Formats: sequence, structure tokens, C-alpha cells
Amino acid sequence: MIDRAWRAIGPGVEVLSGDDGGPLRRTVKRIVDPLVLRLRSNAQFSAAVLDADVAAAMHDTIVGQGPQLRAAAAWFVVLKRERRAQRITTGNAQELYFPVCFELAVTRGMPGGQSAAAAVLAEVHHNHDRTAIEVLNEHVRDPQVIGRLRRQLDHSWRDVRAPAGRSDTITGPFFAGLDTVLGPAVSHRAEAARQRVWSALIADSTPYNLGAKARLTDVALPWSIVDLGLSSVAPQQIPVIDGGATGDRPLDRSVVDRVRATLRRAMDRDELPDVPLLCAEEVDRACAPWGLLAEDKQAGLVTGIEVANELRPLDVSAQPRHELSARIQARLAKEAYVLHARRYLSDGGPIHPRQRQVVEDLAAFTRPYLSRLWARLHGRDVWQESCGDVDDVRSMLEGVARSVSLDHRQRIKAMLELQVAG
Amino acid sequence: MNLSGDTGLWSTGVAPAAGPLALVLEVSGAVLSWPVDGDAADPPVITFTDHHRADWLWRIVGESGHVAIVDALRHRELDRPVEVPIPAARPESTEMLRRLAFGHWLRRWWPASARDGVVALDAAVLDAEIALLTVAAEDYFGDDTLDSDVLGLLAPHPAVLNSLAETGDPRVGALVEQCRELAAEIGLDWPEAAVPRRQDYALAAGAGASSPTGLIARGTASVAWSAVPPGVFDAAEGTIDWSVASGGDGVEATIEVALSGPGTPVGIAVALRTGDCAGSGVLDVGGRAVLALRGEDGRPLTETQAWNRDWSGTAVRIGAEGGAEDAAIRDRVRAVARGRLAEPGAGAFLAEVLAAESDY
Repeated sequence: MIDRAWRAIGPGVEVLSGDDGGPLRRTVKRIVDPLVLRLRSNAQFSAAVLDADVAAAMHDTIVGQGPQLRAAAAWFVVLKRERRAQRITTGNAQELYFPVCFELAVTRGMPGGQSAAAAVLAEVHHNHDRTAIEVLNEHVRDPQVIGRLRRQLDHSWRDVRAPAGRSDTITGPFFAGLDTVLGPAVSHRAEAARQRVWSALIADSTPYNLGAKARLTDVALPWSIVDLGLSSVAPQQIPVIDGGATGDRPLDRSVVDRVRATLRRAMDRDELPDVPLLCAEEVDRACAPWGLLAEDKQAGLVTGIEVANELRPLDVSAQPRHELSARIQARLAKEAYVLHARRYLSDGGPIHPRQRQVVEDLAAFTRPYLSRLWARLHGRDVWQESCGDVDDVRSMLEGVARSVSLDHRQRIKAMLELQVAG
Repeated sequence: MNLSGDTGLWSTGVAPAAGPLALVLEVSGAVLSWPVDGDAADPPVITFTDHHRADWLWRIVGESGHVAIVDALRHRELDRPVEVPIPAARPESTEMLRRLAFGHWLRRWWPASARDGVVALDAAVLDAEIALLTVAAEDYFGDDTLDSDVLGLLAPHPAVLNSLAETGDPRVGALVEQCRELAAEIGLDWPEAAVPRRQDYALAAGAGASSPTGLIARGTASVAWSAVPPGVFDAAEGTIDWSVASGGDGVEATIEVALSGPGTPVGIAVALRTGDCAGSGVLDVGGRAVLALRGEDGRPLTETQAWNRDWSGTAVRIGAEGGAEDAAIRDRVRAVARGRLAEPGAGAFLAEVLAAESDY
């Protein structure tokens, strides 16, 4: 669809197009999706298969911005020339400049001279993400600020309590509900039912209670938070404000580290958060069960634990109980096939002793899986993006497996190619 | 197009077994595979890891075909195969992908051998070509995959490529120029320095191992490619020489493997077994290992026991356990390689053409 509309724009956008005349992948990812179609607010454009009238609207939207896209293309030529003149090689030129080019096209039209290009590059390459992190560092250098945050921390930590009595021991209904959430839906009706179950689960107190219990010594969780890689000690300890964290697992992190992570991830965002406010909020979040404020995020993490515990990359015979985990497991097996077909692995095991450590890491999938899932949920918690849509949560659980697996496989590959280069 | 469940995923056919005969390419949402000795126009077996992420599918089966597949798979369980009436794959798009898969195959399975006279391919030239092909196929890498890492392909080679460009071959010069441009775009530092490649590969060993004193038995064996990394061993058959002789404290087996390529054999496992008598260890830098042999009782084999044995069934394994391919499979791969060297076709990589030219 996008491809056809793109071709209808005609000449003038060649630098944003591939050899076949269609848009480049990054043109779609960095310009068309976020800035032209604005998928964040126009969800109808992101459906896998489009209705005829939506497709027509999409076509008109893209073609209608032809002049801006041509101007963006012209800006890219100018910026690339300037990049070469200045011998800049940091970052991917398309990745960095495409959104800027479109913005310039909208605000200024066709490009100005060389000095304008130089100014833009200076902006892109120097003032990128520094400012917010510097503001943070400045903010937490003030002992009064630290004192205030620490008092808030003690308070918030005490506020979270696992309920006494029987209600805290009943986790059965929640996990029974997960069978549906992680199970198949073979009709529209089943899909709707699955959504209803998820809506009920994110209002259930089980994830909150389990997270609150993770900080008590004398109660047993269904899993060990240390084995899951969510914490380096059990029970979970009260977080520190800055420095001296007990470990590098998600629940060990200091409040300031957590805010720093938010600021790094915020690079693509327009709205720059207010740092003092962010710190105060992060104190409460760090004290919340699972280090996440919203109940749908807590439920998301507990769901992820169920999935992660069933995944066994490299083990072809593993047969997870849930449909979603089984699908992810089948993908992991296919990805192992690729490694095997490429002579990076021998029949599931290392092909060179150097790889042994990485192969063992890959077998222990749960820890990196949950670390990454936690980071994504943390981001959503900060930006208040809902986890209420069950399909969206399922696809997040799949996406985390995809990226952890890719990361691991690239390490297996690197371990083997290292010796040839060296 | 017929879609059926293949080990838990939707697939358009049965993928070839992983090993020296399979061409594979991991794209967004699918793994494509072909047999290595098929035709360039063969359509791939498409195994969907996630058909919702295969946003390139229309390029191969057309827009209506893409929609038909997504529709057919909605709410369908894997145990019920489905026939989707769509036109055959468009060869022009799949040929490009097969060529890319072939490039990756060449990196890993090319049977370079001094003994067989199969010239090694230039790794820098080959990686450079694959990097450029990958960029041309970027529509298929909406999600990053194992095969979308252009930076990783180019990063080790700038200095060697600069040096190759200075040799004056215009084909290499053009390739290097394209890579230099690509590097500037993707943020890879491309220094001006030109460093010629090391040529001091270990090519020796194996042949003519001297007769040790007290020789009890000797023989040869072959390396299974699937059990060892590429770029270390000569890919010919019968490159393992083994001998059994009485040693200081008992009986020792000496193993020597012919090497070829930039990789080192250090630390790669080696094991010899005959009946219930066995020894194991690791190779040294020269592709050599001396193994102490033990009998069924776990005690060192005595010289008398060794002389009384039949050594004809001796097996030597180099590398990982399990998954070794048949010698017949290796022969098929050598036939592919010889065919391509003898007559580099239109789809040949420059690295292959250069190897063929150097073969005179």
C-alpha cells in the first residue's frame, strides 16, 4: 500500500527510495509511519490488512504530503553532503537525519544553503540527549533533594504491604486466567473472551500481592526472584536513591539509575519530562510491587514470568503448555536451525569450545528475557502507555523473545568469527 | 500455495535439513531455505516465524496473495493444512534473496582445500559483496535478524579492502568504493590505512607424519564439517592421520589433521575410539594431539593389549559430538564448488570469480 502511494509521488524523492522506486525501509520507519501517517494517533493505518476506504485515505495522506517529502529528500542530500564534508561517521545517516529532514521540510520548505545544513548537523550531533541527563545530575547533587527523596522512599516502601489473611494466598484464579490469555483464540468470539479475561486479570490483586510478598522473608512465592534474575537478593531490599546498588538486576537499581534509563529512552520523544517530578515519581515506582506502579504492568510482568519459565532455546523437544509459549518456542527452534545451517552450532551444542559460555547463557533464557521485559514495562509505566489490550501484550511478550534471541545468537556468531579475525 | 504446520510453524514446504546442503536466509518474520544444488530460479521454502511480521510477502506473492495468506491463517490451527490459491512466486525477487543466502553459505561451507585444489574465497571481498546485497534487500529486514547486520559484515575489513583496491583490479576498486560510501552512511569509521592480509596460514601438517617408533597401527579418517568451525581444516577427505604406538606409560594415539585457512585449531576436541578402547583430548596449534588410550576397564591400555586388538574399526572424531554429515554430502558440496569455479555463472560472487581466475 505504502509502496504504491510512494510511487505516485513521482520524481524528487529518489534519495528516500530504493533501486526499485519504493520507499527505503528507514523512510517508512522514520518518516512515513511516525510523521506522515502518524500511526501513534491513527491506529487504523497500522492494521495488517486495510479496508478499501482506509487504504484510500492512507494513499491520499501520503500523496498529499508529496511536496514536503520532496523537500525532505532535498534536505537529506544537503545534510549528507555536509556530513561528508565534515567527515562525520557517527550514527546511521538515514536513522539520524530522516526525521530531522521531514521536520525541516515542514517548517522551512526547501533547503537553504550550506550554513543551514552545518547548523542542523551541529544540533543533531552535539545537543542530542545530553541536556536532560545533565539536569538530572545537577538535581541530585543537592543534598536537600536527596534527603527529601530518601524520606519519601522510606514512606512509600512502608506503604506497600502484602495483605494479611487468606486473600493473599489465593493466586489460583489469576493463573487459571493466564491459561486463557496465553492460549489460542480460534474465532472472533474467543478473541473477545480472551480480552475480557485479561481485563479482569489486570484488575486482580494477585500480581500486586505477589510483588509485595517478594520483599518478605517468611513467605514463599511460586518462584525465586533471584533465579528469575529480577533481583540479586531475596527478599527484595529497599532501593537506594543513588549509587551503591546491591546488584544490576532490575529490582536492585537505584532511583537515579532508573530515571537515567528513562531519559535515555526518551530521546525520540518530543515532550521532555520535568526532572524533579520524574525523580519523585520514580521513588514511588521503585517502591511499588515489581518496581512498577500500574497494575496492568505488574500483571504483564507476572504473565511474562509464566512464559519465560517455559522457554528452552536450543532444546527442540521442549513442549510448553501454553499456546503462546509454544509458538515462541517453535520460533526459537527455527532460529537454532539457522545457526545450525550456518555452521555456528553443531546439533544444538557449541561447535567451538569458545562458545560454551554463550551457549549456556542461551539455555538460561529466563533472566535476560525478564530483564528486557521489565525494562519495556518500566518504559510503559513511565509514559503511562496502557497494557490493557491483550493482543498488544501478547505481541510484546513475543517481541521480547525475538530481541533476546537475536542478541544471544549474535554473540554465538561473534564468538566464532572472533578467532578467524584474530 | 500449500501451507502446512512444520514443527509448530506455518511453512510452504519442507525445509532442507540443516547442514552443508541448505541455503538459508533469516528475514523479517520468516526463514527462507533452498537446496544448495538447486536452480537459481527455485522458489524458497518459506517458514513463517511470524507471518504478521513478514511485511515483504507481497513482493513475492503479490498484494492479493499476501492478503489471501493472512486471511487463510487467521484463526487456523496448525494441524489443518490450507491451500491458498495464489500465483507462483515472482522469480526476480526470490532470485535476489537466494543469491544473498548463497553468499552466506559461501562464507560458512565453501570447501577450501589445498589437497583437493579448491581455492579459498577472499573473505573480505565476499563479506563486502554480502553487505551490499543486504542493503539492497533491506525491505526484507523490517525487523533486524541474524542476517541484517551490515555493520558486522563490513567492520572487520576496511584495511584489507583498501589494500585490495590498490592492486588495480577495477572490479575490486568499484566494490571497495561502494563499501566506503556505505560505511559513511551507516556510521562505520573507514580509515585510510591499507593493510595487506596475512598470508601465513598454517597449511602444513597431516601429510607425511613420520613413523613413530613402536608403531602398532595407523590409518586415516575424515573431518565432519558440521562438527567444526569453517576456516580451520582442509576440506578434503582423509585428512586425519592417526597412529597408535607404545608410549612412556602405556599406549598413545597421535592424531594430525590437515589445516587450511585463517582459523586456529587450538582447543578443538579430538577423540579416538575402537571398540571399547578410547582416548580424547584437544588439538594444538599445529592440528596435532597425543591421546593416552584406555581400555574398557578405564585403565591405561597396555602394549600387549594394543597388539592383540583389531584396529580396523577405529573411528576418529574432530570437533563436536553428533550431527556429522555423510561423506556423500561432502562430495555433493565439492561438486557444487568445482562447478562454480569451472564456470562462474551470472550469479557468481566476485570472490568466486577471483578464486576461479587464480586457479590457473
